[in-house]
Amino acid sequence: MRAEILVIIVGMALVTAIPRCLPVALLSRFEFPEKFKEWLSYIAPAVLAALVTVSVLAPDGAIAITPGNRYIWAFIPTLAVAVYTRSPFYTLVTGIAVMALLYNFW
Amino acid sequence: MTGIRQAIPVMLAYIPLGLAFGVLAAEAGLSVAEITLMSALVFTGAGQYIAIGIIAAGGSALTIILANLLVNLRYFLFSTSLVPPLKVLPTGAASALMLGLTDETYAVAAVHFRENPATIPYLAGLNVSSYLSWVGSSFLGASLGSIITNTEQLGLDFALPAMYTILLILVISERKHLLVAGASALVCLVVACLFPATLGNLSNIIIASLAAATLGVIIRQ
Repeated sequence: MRAEILVIIVGMALVTAIPRCLPVALLSRFEFPEKFKEWLSYIAPAVLAALVTVSVLAPDGAIAITPGNRYIWAFIPTLAVAVYTRSPFYTLVTGIAVMALLYNFW
Repeated sequence: MTGIRQAIPVMLAYIPLGLAFGVLAAEAGLSVAEITLMSALVFTGAGQYIAIGIIAAGGSALTIILANLLVNLRYFLFSTSLVPPLKVLPTGAASALMLGLTDETYAVAAVHFRENPATIPYLAGLNVSSYLSWVGSSFLGASLGSIITNTEQLGLDFALPAMYTILLILVISERKHLLVAGASALVCLVVACLFPATLGNLSNIIIASLAAATLGVIIRQ
């Protein structure tokens, strides 16, 4: 184990742990105003919509809204199964299977 | 048990990501022990990929740590939004379990806490299972290196997008959520097009979430 790599790892661990733990550690004793709680309740749908957008439309780190982007084609049946079954299992199986088919046969 | 059961899609999604991280980190010159230690102490996808990129390019430790700080700003937002449901738990234990907070464990827990009270076993089951999958697959990727067969061929690269999709569907329980989600997707795309650099450090996701949640509060029901 090289010292320089160890410094990098420990530094990364600190700057990752602080934003994860600090809010829960410090803010739990306060009662948030209703408006702020409402705002916080919108964070999960907002983050997930952004993550879906980036992971499907920019799978390789650049926006690729093109017919050659397999992720867009795989997304369509995956979304349909998600809406109709509301099941994480069926949605994941559909997404993975469709992606495997697209990769191997298209 | 519920936490572990709900962790299964997350664990599945982390396998290709962890394997790929292990392989890339080994190619960048890190030893198996260094790679496994990084995954075990840091447990974050984006930040670790960025670190490997900077190490491979010969960048400094300071650059890596600052880049990670920037990418991890979103955790402030996630952790704060979990404060109300986690109030029922002892603060010390809840804060410690937040070490296992990732985009994926956050989303799964946020959906679960809509209908169910938070418990330590639930959060521990979800976060520890996901953690073990990440550390285990990083170790395997680092050890086996290029022997690993192409995970693209198995369709596993779509595990993460598929999981985000179902979690998005599950988290939308009223019309307002749909509006917020649509606004977030749009802002995210526009920001990424105008400022391509925001895609790499995920700041377009933070900008989009802040803007869309604010819009949700401003617009009347």
